Amino acid sequence: MSTQAPASPPSAGGGLPPDGGVPLIYRRGFRRLVQQGIYVAVTALVAWYVYDSLNLREFGFGFLDDPAAFKVGNQWLTDVDGVTSSRIEMYLVGVWSTLRVVFVAILLSTLVGVIVGVSRLSSNWLVARLAMLYVEIFRNTPLLVQVVLVYAIFLVGAPIIQEVLNIGDFAFVSNRGVAIPWPVPDGGWWGAPDWFVGVWVALLIAFGAFAMSVRAKRQDRERETGQPQFANRWAFGIFAVAALVTFVALGLPVSIDRPFVEGTRYLEGMVIRPEFAALTIGLTLYTGAFNAEIVRGSIQALPRGQSEAANAIGLSGYQRLTLVILPQALRQMIPSITNQYLNVNKNSSLAYAVLYDDLFRVAGIIQNKAGHALEMFFVIIVTYMLISLVISIVMNFINSRVTRVGV
Amino acid sequence: MRLPSLKGRRLVSALLFAGAALVAGAVIGACTSDEEDQQAQATDQQQQVMQQQDQPQPRAQASGEPRGDTIQLVMDRGTLKCGVKQTQPLFGFRDDQGNVTGFDIEFCKAIAAAVLKDADAVEYVDASDASTRFELLADGQIDILIRTTTITSSRDMELDVDFAQTTFYTGQGFAVRKDSGINSTSDMANAAICVQTGTTTEQNVADHFTDIGLDYEPTGGLSQDVAAAFFEGRCDVLTADASDLASRIVVRDDADDYKILPQIISKEPLAPGVRDYDSDWKDVVNWVVHGLLRAEEIGITQANVAAMAANPPNTEVARLLGVPFGDGEVAALGFDVVDAQFIQRAIAAVGNYGEIYDREIGNAIPRDCTLNALARPLPAEAVDCGPGEGGIMYALPYR
Repeated sequence: MSTQAPASPPSAGGGLPPDGGVPLIYRRGFRRLVQQGIYVAVTALVAWYVYDSLNLREFGFGFLDDPAAFKVGNQWLTDVDGVTSSRIEMYLVGVWSTLRVVFVAILLSTLVGVIVGVSRLSSNWLVARLAMLYVEIFRNTPLLVQVVLVYAIFLVGAPIIQEVLNIGDFAFVSNRGVAIPWPVPDGGWWGAPDWFVGVWVALLIAFGAFAMSVRAKRQDRERETGQPQFANRWAFGIFAVAALVTFVALGLPVSIDRPFVEGTRYLEGMVIRPEFAALTIGLTLYTGAFNAEIVRGSIQALPRGQSEAANAIGLSGYQRLTLVILPQALRQMIPSITNQYLNVNKNSSLAYAVLYDDLFRVAGIIQNKAGHALEMFFVIIVTYMLISLVISIVMNFINSRVTRVGV
Repeated sequence: MRLPSLKGRRLVSALLFAGAALVAGAVIGACTSDEEDQQAQATDQQQQVMQQQDQPQPRAQASGEPRGDTIQLVMDRGTLKCGVKQTQPLFGFRDDQGNVTGFDIEFCKAIAAAVLKDADAVEYVDASDASTRFELLADGQIDILIRTTTITSSRDMELDVDFAQTTFYTGQGFAVRKDSGINSTSDMANAAICVQTGTTTEQNVADHFTDIGLDYEPTGGLSQDVAAAFFEGRCDVLTADASDLASRIVVRDDADDYKILPQIISKEPLAPGVRDYDSDWKDVVNWVVHGLLRAEEIGITQANVAAMAANPPNTEVARLLGVPFGDGEVAALGFDVVDAQFIQRAIAAVGNYGEIYDREIGNAIPRDCTLNALARPLPAEAVDCGPGEGGIMYALPYR
């Protein structure tokens, strides 16, 4: 093709040709094309090499539809028996187990982080030193050690089920787990079906929203008039009365299920199994120590004038913290805290060490039965990434809400 | 000469790039094949390329061509990489001093003695984790897997593993505390059961409880972890191979507090595993095991093997030990990959099958009248046995 000459001499009529006479290799568009081309070529080569050397001709996910033929423990709200269910259903049970641990550990570690982080700045010598001791112990030892230690303490330290610790026929502690009362749907006076409790929950949400709007209105009025309007008391009062009235009006649709021990097992109630407890407590203590440091750092990063101004207008210590310091520190915290939440998700795979059937262990069982290690690890990685992405999206949303100035 | 329009120039660039990519691809591709064929090109002969395929390769090939030559690999290396369990007393266990001992270990030694003429030329690779053991084998990190591994149809067909002669027959059993009042699985409704994961165990127990229509609450984990949890009282029942249960209980101070139920819910023939498509290596492993069994049958022991070899009492002993009988030649048995005396060396190193059994596990797991005892010689007339009983016709489990 004769028109392919990379650079043509300026045409006789004077003026520059459309390309400005720049040689091809200096043109930005061409360079980008070459760069992208090399990238695509290298990627394709790597993909081809992986395909070829890892024998991916048999790559496929059909094996996940086969019967699971095993059962996993630590199920909550699910009862998948493993004989009639498929491997993918069993895997989803594992994912659900992971999500429960991650959710609870994130909530508790945040709580621990805020309390300990604020305590570290306390003027009380003992409180500050205890908080420092906690942080230094738990962030300087491996998480695996902590999780295994908590589990071992539970197994060895808690009484065996035959000598179960009975807390007033209300809760039970043994190394089979902690059994506590738990609300369950109840037919109530009218023998309504289980779904009837949903009506009550819907009513609660509606009244909750109403109470919040009353609270906002009263807060506005307080700001305008300067007269105390007791917004929180009003909101709480409305909600509590509404909850009580609807609860009775619907014929007591929820009852509290009290656990009891029969033979060597717990019946009724809610059983927190030692595996779940060990993993959750381990993750909470470890991540809580890091969160505490983030909270402390974010508070200390605030200008001293903020505290002084709060003192100057006569706020109490608690008001200073909740109205002035924490709302501002929150903006600094969220990006770092998000990282810690993502770590909770990833570290939850340490379930492997404490016999907890999380998604990683269930995947390992499937892999041992069916082979297909590559596919299984692909599924595992995608699952963890999805959970992480959801955490990131939620945290980014919260971040955009508390960051007033968009960047 | 005018350059083509913007669109045209993009096309030109694209074509140029495509050419460059092709060249780059060809160059990299050539480099890759250069590496793969380096050995072949060194000898500069086409036929060498064919032999190249006989080298052990890390992954299974889609075709059924022979591709393994583990025995040559072992001989060239001078050590046997034996994948063993290091966490189960009696079968494969690493003690405080770092010594690896157990029933399975003796077979590693026997094979090393047979192939390498040195029972200590073994590198014990930790294959304790059940869920990665087959990967170790398929990836070529071990030459042989001797790790209380059950032969099953699905493992044989799906995974890159081929099973040699069974070294130990067991079955899945249940251990309970003596004071638990549990005497069979029908007493285990809703029991908390500690189950080893990454094995056939969890499937057997799921199948069994479906069959008897009961539910249970499993707690799964690595063998030593679930055993520890059971002994702490986390579970009512521990289920694993009966031999595994025996080995866990026998080492405890309070061993008398536990019992193993007589009920066995599965067949677990434990056998050495080798890679698929490696007949020579599998043959050697097979016949070492058979040789040790035959030695017991005909009374050759670690103590008398030297005397037997010096003065064989009959032709079979001479053949097994690879020595000439009288003035004759050494019988050719067609083993071209090992010399004729490989069984003799194995016996000299570890003794016959019965000696291994008595030394390693005899105290904990009785042998008489079990599948692991020698089959009785054919009686003149069957006395004790019902129709079809008393032999060891033993179908491998279909699962």
